Amino acid sequence: MKNMKFINKIVLSFVFAGTFLFTSCDDLLQVEPRQSIDANGALNTPDALSAALNSVYARLRPVSNYGRDLLALSDALADVGQTTSNSGRLIGENNNQPNAHFGAGFWANSYFAINEANLILAALPAVQGASAAQLARWEGEAKFLRALYYFDLVKVYSYIPTAIYTPGVTDEGGIPLVLEGVITSDAALSRQSSRATIDQVYTQIYTDLESAKTLLTSRGTYFASSAAASALLSRVALYRGDWAKSVAESTTALASTVGTVLSGQAYINGWRAEVNPESMFEVRFAIPAEAIGVNESLQTSYTTLLNLTANKNSQGGWGDFIPNARVRGFFGLTQLQLGNPATDNNNWDVTRNSDIRAFLYTTGNTVRGAGRQIESIKFASKNGFAYGDNVPVIRKSEMHLNRAEANYHIPGNEGAALTELNAFKGLRGLPAVALTGQALLDEILLERFKEFAFEGHRWFDLKRYGRDVVKTTPVVNLAFDDFKILPPIPQREVDGNPNLNQNRGY
Amino acid sequence: MKKVLLLGLMLLFVGAAAFAQGRVVTGTVTSGEDRLPLPGASVLVKGTTIGAATDLDGKFSLNVPDGRNVLVISFTGFVDQEISLGNRTQIVIELQPDISSLGEVIVTGYGTTPKREVTGAVSSVKGDVIANLPLQSFDRALQGRAAGVQVRSANGLPGGAVNIRIRGVGSINAGNEPLFIIDGVQLNNQSNASFTQSNPLAFLNPNDIESMEILKDAASAAIYGSQAANGVVIITTKRGKQGKARFEFNAFGGQTQPMKYLDVLGGSEWYNMRKEAWINSGNALPEANTLSNMARLPANWQTLTAADLDAIGQGLQTYDWQREVMGTGKIQNYELSVSGGDDKTTFFLSGSYNYQESSFKPVDFERGTVRLALSHQATPRLNIETSINLSTFQQNIPFAVGGAFLGNPAFSSSAVLPHNPIYNEDGTFNTAIGGVLGQNVVLVNAYNSGLQRTNTVVGNIVANYKILDNLVFRSLFGLDYRLLQGESYRDPRTPDGAGVVGRASEQSDWRTRFITTQTLNWNKTFNSVHNVSGIFGLEYVSETRQGLSGAGIGFPTFQFRTIQSSATPESISGFWTGYKRAGAFISGSYDYKKKYLATITARYDGSSRFGANNQFGLFPSIRVGWNIVEESFLKNSEAVSDLKLRASYGKTGNDQIGNFAARGLYGGGGNYAGQAGIRPSSLANLNLGWESNVTFNLGLDYGFLSNRITGSLDVFDRRTRDLLLDQPIIWTNGFSDIANNVGELQNKGIEFEVSTINIDKGGFRWNTSFNFTYIKNQIISLYDDLQFLPANPGLAVGQPVGNPQNDGVAAPGSFFAATYAGVNPATGRPMWYDINGNITYLPLAADRQYQGSNLATTFGGLNNTFFYKGFELTAFFTYEYGAVVTDGQYSFLRENGTRLTLNALREVHDRRWTTPGQITDIPRNLTTNAGNEARGAGRNSGSAGLLKADFIRLAQLTFAYSFSPTLVRNLGLTRARIYAQGLNLWTYTDYPGYDPEFVGAGTGQIPMTKNYTIGVQIGF
Repeated sequence: MKNMKFINKIVLSFVFAGTFLFTSCDDLLQVEPRQSIDANGALNTPDALSAALNSVYARLRPVSNYGRDLLALSDALADVGQTTSNSGRLIGENNNQPNAHFGAGFWANSYFAINEANLILAALPAVQGASAAQLARWEGEAKFLRALYYFDLVKVYSYIPTAIYTPGVTDEGGIPLVLEGVITSDAALSRQSSRATIDQVYTQIYTDLESAKTLLTSRGTYFASSAAASALLSRVALYRGDWAKSVAESTTALASTVGTVLSGQAYINGWRAEVNPESMFEVRFAIPAEAIGVNESLQTSYTTLLNLTANKNSQGGWGDFIPNARVRGFFGLTQLQLGNPATDNNNWDVTRNSDIRAFLYTTGNTVRGAGRQIESIKFASKNGFAYGDNVPVIRKSEMHLNRAEANYHIPGNEGAALTELNAFKGLRGLPAVALTGQALLDEILLERFKEFAFEGHRWFDLKRYGRDVVKTTPVVNLAFDDFKILPPIPQREVDGNPNLNQNRGY
Repeated sequence: MKKVLLLGLMLLFVGAAAFAQGRVVTGTVTSGEDRLPLPGASVLVKGTTIGAATDLDGKFSLNVPDGRNVLVISFTGFVDQEISLGNRTQIVIELQPDISSLGEVIVTGYGTTPKREVTGAVSSVKGDVIANLPLQSFDRALQGRAAGVQVRSANGLPGGAVNIRIRGVGSINAGNEPLFIIDGVQLNNQSNASFTQSNPLAFLNPNDIESMEILKDAASAAIYGSQAANGVVIITTKRGKQGKARFEFNAFGGQTQPMKYLDVLGGSEWYNMRKEAWINSGNALPEANTLSNMARLPANWQTLTAADLDAIGQGLQTYDWQREVMGTGKIQNYELSVSGGDDKTTFFLSGSYNYQESSFKPVDFERGTVRLALSHQATPRLNIETSINLSTFQQNIPFAVGGAFLGNPAFSSSAVLPHNPIYNEDGTFNTAIGGVLGQNVVLVNAYNSGLQRTNTVVGNIVANYKILDNLVFRSLFGLDYRLLQGESYRDPRTPDGAGVVGRASEQSDWRTRFITTQTLNWNKTFNSVHNVSGIFGLEYVSETRQGLSGAGIGFPTFQFRTIQSSATPESISGFWTGYKRAGAFISGSYDYKKKYLATITARYDGSSRFGANNQFGLFPSIRVGWNIVEESFLKNSEAVSDLKLRASYGKTGNDQIGNFAARGLYGGGGNYAGQAGIRPSSLANLNLGWESNVTFNLGLDYGFLSNRITGSLDVFDRRTRDLLLDQPIIWTNGFSDIANNVGELQNKGIEFEVSTINIDKGGFRWNTSFNFTYIKNQIISLYDDLQFLPANPGLAVGQPVGNPQNDGVAAPGSFFAATYAGVNPATGRPMWYDINGNITYLPLAADRQYQGSNLATTFGGLNNTFFYKGFELTAFFTYEYGAVVTDGQYSFLRENGTRLTLNALREVHDRRWTTPGQITDIPRNLTTNAGNEARGAGRNSGSAGLLKADFIRLAQLTFAYSFSPTLVRNLGLTRARIYAQGLNLWTYTDYPGYDPEFVGAGTGQIPMTKNYTIGVQIGF
């Protein structure tokens, strides 16, 4: 009997335990995440807003954006270099094969960043405890970044205002222009934006940058500043053919304290420093964990060298994309054996002409199998770790070239253009020229080609003048009327959005 | 067991009461299966009530009255035997197991059911069928054993992932993993190892398994509600049996061997192939360029003639990299178990050690387990039991589980240029490797190191209390605890470690799953014909998972290999996640004279994973059966010994999605310039709810000729509704997708199982069992009347989905690509068909067509066993048909070195186009610098690289001998058996890659092995 009671107690306790577990259904199924916060009201504090803004900057870093494609892939599409087949990357782009172009990741990542910027701008009024200075800075940086992403998107996916190709009735137009953040499923499922006109997109970029200019000061070249906004505006105006505006903004940018135009050895040293002193805005790779890695970083795309201080024989990157004969010719680059044995890569360098930029090239190593090649070393572990170099988005030198080019187009300012070009050539160790008319413009564009080789300008410089792309190795030319000038808009976007027109030919 | 004993005791008393006349007969009853004594067998004098039960040694003693001469010996699970005594007073009887398993009991949801009364689609695999196979996890051993269950090894990693699909692929974005239950504990079988694949199910020694039941139709599984959409596998482990302690020692050892080496080109052959490509590309210096590609161009090459250079190329040697890194491996397994008990307490205790190497050193698997099962009858009403499984296994890791990594031997050994020596003449590693694969993988393999360890505890405590004789309360508390630890070291002497001067990475990941189940079981028979039973239960599961990982770089020397010696912390990370589930269930069964059967179940489940508006779901089911054989017109038929018609309809749920998939969140991410970032990570969906499976099943169980032919036939229609689909969001709206309940998927099919005793004569027996499954999978609908998913057009209405490689991976779609048209016979250029059937060199998006998926439509197994006087021969085949796959390893080799300087397959190279008029599928060799021709679509584009993965495989061949009981007894043993066994000895396929059985991209994956073992089993 005693035993029976004991057993009853056990049974009772099991039953009790069982029912206890089911008493409160709300708690029963309640699990709160610990590494995320609810999206509702997530940005209501100054700390959260700052953190959210960091993410918009960070989205400049991936391979699809400044991590590689806006530099290396652009130049591969253009006439800057040739591929080695070392890893097989960038070959299709260099051959201008259909669909080998800016990819879906660039579109997606850029629009994600734009959405985050839009959400930040919408959240500003609700942030509690923020100072007026903080609010101004956040608004200015968000608008600068939104303008930069839109500019990068529109220059890639659309024709540039100075050279719009219109094959009959088809007008590819600009890109979807979304200025309202999406954070609810209703909006995410229902909004189907169509392409704005190219002009509408450029107008919006102007609006954002003008606003950013007045709101911002400077907190270092990793972040947006008023001067960087002027500098970007100067480039946008150049693309738009708004020559006077480009001149004015270049002048403002040059007058600022942000960035320094360098010459001689200091210019080369600038490419060896973690932060290039020339930069007006630079994308930051702070730690090795942010490095892009041995397969797709800028460093690995351009050079087989591990860094510029170690043994040249150390295995580094792939060196997939190297200067072509034309670029080698700019700087007088040929392979030069310095000593013996010839198999030691340290015994090799290149010949160079008087152009100081020739020091941005050297011979790589033979580890990757395609033999020793002349390579660009603009990105070569300058941050102290491999495959994660900071990327200059705007260097101050560009302001001289923007202003010279814009002045050339302004009636009566051709002289100023020539003077500025010659002054710039002097900085790079080149003799002055005496040119006028088309020849002067071509020389300005050539100088731009030399200055920004492997920095992703050339493709767009050709595109904004409607010029054909001429390639010799291999012989694959691309006429300006070819549909492959523009990439396909990601097919999923067209399939999922009846209002969105695909680019011609895809 | 207990019933039998009681019966035996009863008979004993009866026998004792009827003493006096006659003679005393003594004897022993043994099992014909393992020749062990059978305690508790009943021995009855025919035509009387006089009988006895055998004791713990299988012995009996009986008074046989005069005039009686026949004994009837019976034991559950064995065929009754009648024996004439003649003049004998001492006899030995061997009972043969009843393979028709009329009395077989099937474990079903929260209870057991006699097989004759099962009304759902349930397959049962007995533990002895998979015993002693050199396989690390029991899920692997299920391949080909049960209709409707498709099992594929992901690769040849011992203890690696196994892909198991019950009745097809039923979900696109939620999981497709069945629910595994071991001793009442529902496991989480997600694999989270960072450095290799560690199948969580490998924690269990397969030899500890008594039986596995697979609940396939929704009605059978519905009592598991939200977890049961992909079927349920219930594993029952071995428990103690009453009797004196019985020891069993089991050991086997052997070897693994590669199933295949790929036949690739030699040094000078590769030179000639590449030279041909340069010539075809219009290059003026083909010899020099080829030697340059191979890093064999002399510095003074400009002074040499083409003929000189060619002589260098023709003189290149060949080195066999595959045979250098692949080879034989060891297999070892030892285990000892002891079981026994008295009338109150029984126990089973086992320990085991298992070791197996893959064909790629140092990849291996080493496991130790301890298992204890105890049962104690505390009072006549209260029974307490526990089962505790402790296990630790560790694996030496591969360079990578898969992928085209230069340092990955499984990728590079067949693709590296063959003229590269592996060693220098002085025996050191050659580090100057020409070609794109510029690493010496033998060196990399020798210098890197790493371990992955998995420690698991799965255990339960259970109390059964008889409230009334027909009402039992059962309370179960269970724990599934797992700790994963991993470490990996990239040696600074290897190219991947050189740049960072060594990298050490570490992982720790622990998971705790708690489960409790409280059930009431009730049954009653009315008027001797109406049998009613019911189950009511409550269940609660809570799981948390937490992890830490980090990496450090910069090591003083290669001897320092642990993370604390690193100069710079490279990364540090961690995570926490959790979920909870609660449910109540009820089941009621009724039968009339075991002839007409019906069961209704319902479960109400809630999960923390779903949206606030939709956390709970109801899962009902109904099953009915008609035992036709019980009808009077068949009751005495010998020809038709078993016939049952079954029909079932039920609904089950799937909640295998992210723990916070329904929540709108900002997560950490997007750090910039040393400052932390946050960004939106998911959109809220308050209405997110269950993905439900509704299955209609019609089945027939049959037995003919006194059950010499038995089996079943099932047809089913499984519909997955409200698919948990990651519905694409257009990227311009800032997100990729949202978890939503949209779309419908169908798996309909037919399953057929048959077991026959072909010959049973003169001690010779030949058994055959065969199963066949055909499943048609297709998407019935998506959303908004879309015919295909914008983000993945391979997921299209009317087309099958693919088989996702592992948990957490979305099901791929069908292959959607332009159809390959072979090579233009005039020029050697690859061609495709456009959408109008015309030839094109540059297929566009509009030219894509559906080319099938990697989900096999047809699969099964065939087993033949022959017994003769202690000898036993088993030959087990598995087969698959209908899967279309891409194999990354083959695709790289299929390029014929035209894009990258990789080696080529001889059979592909031999088929290349060389002369006008030649009809072939391999284009002429070119380099990437061949201008507009190279500008066309790549040679593997469209359907050109797709392969059929059909095969028939001799999965198991076993030859065994059991020593005769008399001999064994003289040695003081109860049983002795020796065997030799081979796995994967032969495969019939025309597959050009390593092996058609793999899951994933196929690139750089370690293929499965042939295994040879010999073993011994001794009982004492």
